[in-house]
Amino acid sequence: MSRAGFILDLDRCVGCGACVLACRMEKGWSDETPWRRIVPFNLDRVPGGPTWHFSVACHHCEDPACLRACPSGAYERRADGIVVLDGERCLGCRYCEMACPFGAPVFDERSGIMMKCDFCHERVDNGHSPACIAACPVGALIRLTDEDLEATSPASIPGFIDPAGCRPSLRFREPGGNLREKRLEQLRKVLEQ
Amino acid sequence: MEGDRVIRTVCPRNCYCTCGMLVTVREGRIVSIEGDPLNPATDGGVCLKGLSYVERISSPDRILTPLRRRLDGEGFDQIGWEEALDGITAGLKELRERHGPQAALFYEGSGNHGALSSLAEVFWNQYGGPTRAHGDLCWPAGLEASRLTYGDNLHNHPVLTRESRFILLWGHNPAETNVHQMRLILDARQQGASLAVIDPRSTDTTDAADIHLQPRPGTDGALALGIAAILEAEGLIDRSFLESTAVGVDPYLERARAFTPGRVAEITGVGVDEIRALAIRYGETRPALLIAGFGLQRHHQAGQTMRAVALLPALTGNIGVRGGGWQYANLASHGLRPPPLPPVPDRETRSFPTSRLGAALLELDDPPVRGAWFEKANPVSQHPRTDRVREALSRLDLLVVVDQFLTDTARMAHYVLPAKTLFEEEDLVTAYWHPYLQLRQKVLDPPGEVRPETEIWRDLCGRFGFDTHWFDGDRRELLRAMLPEGEGNLLERMESEPVVLKGTGEVAWSNRTFPTRSGKIEFRSEEAAELWGVDPLPSWEPLDEGSASTAAELWPLQLLTCKTRERIHSQFGNLDWIRGVDRPRRLDINPADARSRGLADGDRAVVWNDRGRVVIEVHLDHGLREGVVHVIEGRCREDDPWLNLLTDDGITDMNHGATFYECLVEVGRV
Ligand code: SF4
Ligand code: SF4
Ligand code: SF4
Repeated sequence: MSRAGFILDLDRCVGCGACVLACRMEKGWSDETPWRRIVPFNLDRVPGGPTWHFSVACHHCEDPACLRACPSGAYERRADGIVVLDGERCLGCRYCEMACPFGAPVFDERSGIMMKCDFCHERVDNGHSPACIAACPVGALIRLTDEDLEATSPASIPGFIDPAGCRPSLRFREPGGNLREKRLEQLRKVLEQ
Repeated sequence: MEGDRVIRTVCPRNCYCTCGMLVTVREGRIVSIEGDPLNPATDGGVCLKGLSYVERISSPDRILTPLRRRLDGEGFDQIGWEEALDGITAGLKELRERHGPQAALFYEGSGNHGALSSLAEVFWNQYGGPTRAHGDLCWPAGLEASRLTYGDNLHNHPVLTRESRFILLWGHNPAETNVHQMRLILDARQQGASLAVIDPRSTDTTDAADIHLQPRPGTDGALALGIAAILEAEGLIDRSFLESTAVGVDPYLERARAFTPGRVAEITGVGVDEIRALAIRYGETRPALLIAGFGLQRHHQAGQTMRAVALLPALTGNIGVRGGGWQYANLASHGLRPPPLPPVPDRETRSFPTSRLGAALLELDDPPVRGAWFEKANPVSQHPRTDRVREALSRLDLLVVVDQFLTDTARMAHYVLPAKTLFEEEDLVTAYWHPYLQLRQKVLDPPGEVRPETEIWRDLCGRFGFDTHWFDGDRRELLRAMLPEGEGNLLERMESEPVVLKGTGEVAWSNRTFPTRSGKIEFRSEEAAELWGVDPLPSWEPLDEGSASTAAELWPLQLLTCKTRERIHSQFGNLDWIRGVDRPRRLDINPADARSRGLADGDRAVVWNDRGRVVIEVHLDHGLREGVVHVIEGRCREDDPWLNLLTDDGITDMNHGATFYECLVEVGRV
């Protein structure tokens, strides 16, 4: 079984938000507690820099900072790599929120506990894709494959850092063609300046 | 889950994609919506708007009972159907008695597509024929230009986009407005196709392009003629294709030759080298697909511009070719036959071009328009000259609006009647991008007091003592009768899959038979000259309200009000799910234009011209052409600007379209 995780094809993602709405539909979270978000990069289209939309949720890291930080053992990393949070055990202390460098766990005021993307593990266990992946209309968000896991690292995107050494199960895929190279080149130049 | 029902239906928005949808119902509630995998064009996808129906249909803001405006004008009272329809009936009868049926306006927009809409005519024809609007705010000039050129509006099956080697998008932003097309374009690109985009703005579509040309708005006709001249000079014209299939090629080329690269560069503000590079790559690469959006035909010369552009695929022999083609609109699914309606009494129908709504209602006389009925429409947000529209609506004795939400127009009404959603009545939905006819199966009963419009019309007919037999019997049989002769059984097939009507092929014009007057592709069109009084050849002149006009001395910036991914005009923006991912309405302006006006990012600016003024936040957009400013159109909420205070109610050269993008403004500090 391949490890749970996401590939985001930055050349394809148009920031349309269907993945966010599909997650909301599936999981029923509210405005204040988004499990998936679109983080835009350079919407002002400053010359030289690419414009990207990062659709991000929990990265289901290999060494999750949330799990390390949780004092009550509410987090578990399943054999297939899905990092799940047991609401019953969550104390609402918000340590995981502070520990996760990617802002994945969100605090729900109403229930007083944390919430987080669970990789739609019920769907996955029934042989379906996570809701966000199923909904992406351009095929930008796809399930991680072992091949991609090996071939690339998120660090191949300049500016993407992993400060807590979590080793996210997230990859940015180059689908072929010269587009990403062109944009990466632009971005390196901007960062160098 | 056990007990879940999954129902196949279709999104009826005025949107290219017209997605098939699978809706899951659990315990009487819709719990999920997914794309229909059996529609190859949309390939199992919907967009964020399609997903947001889960929230939309049960939104607390939805209107669930008839409403009547309070006597003091402030707010509405909920009333019953009897009271509402009694009041409306009395009002409509009085109008007719005092001034005749034309004192009433019946206006139907495109907010919710379905074949049953035509049943409104059952009432209005028997009422005596009200005042109507003709034309369309969006795309009619391009439709007519395509028809005059090729004889009809058809194009290749969308999935053939994947087979293209060169895709030229002109005035089109599918990443936002036709997201499933974007997937196909990205697929083609992944297999080595090149992508060129012509758009004064930079968008998520232009980000994916190899070539991006940013001409001044309103100069596309000159650009197209200039490209034709380069194609000829470079020997890239497919003479053997044209010989048997086209008329008027030589006079057209003679016209085009006047558009030398230098002159076109001056007109469009795009460099000679860039124009040449685009023309040559388009001409050299086969198959090449040209897809035009609606953006380049929102001005007075829309039709002539679109004729010039539409001819480029013919010139290069890309017509009737897999992976090639001219793509504007595909009406292959539009072969429905409306039910035989009662005749309008012997009187000339009175109508005005829809763009002129506000002015027409203020000016029409003998009889003046004293009452109006709007459904699937929100003219206060969407029509040009908001000032005139509001003024006109506020003077009416009777204003009835049928809608799901309290829109800007509904707020002005005397009576608001609750509208059904797509899930609450069965209907047939045609498309204009893919060839599929789809059945909009009923998923739920309407909530609250909501009734489908067909029920409203039946009830009104009854109150007037009109013939109501159209409404009797099964709706499904009514729909069946609308299908082409002998194809009635398609209806049952559509419960499980989208269908194509007989005679619509995968590759448009593969038989090289063109239903134009001459039977050939018309580079020169006498019909265009006769019907619309234009030059029989495609032509270009500077816009009256363009960058080179005298008005530009006062108002030097061209305002574009484009469409966006998260709304269809004034729909969807009111929903929490959409608000969570949408972007604020701001004035996109090039930093150079902002600097020279002392404006910085985040400032409040006033945008004005001789028609109106709007205050709005500034957003510096480095990707936007200088001299152009942009705001996303559609007003859904209190904090959205009234953009159409600025736009003019002009009419396109062909087919009664609107001229939203022929709009000069100046911008300054508040
Ligand atoms: S649905 Fe796909 S294209 Fe749209 S924002 Fe999400 S990942 Fe990007
Ligand atoms: S995997 Fe499921 S829970 Fe996680 S972001 Fe996607 S839809 Fe949401
Ligand atoms: S609005 Fe358009 S893209 Fe979105 S679901 Fe409806 S038809 Fe599909």
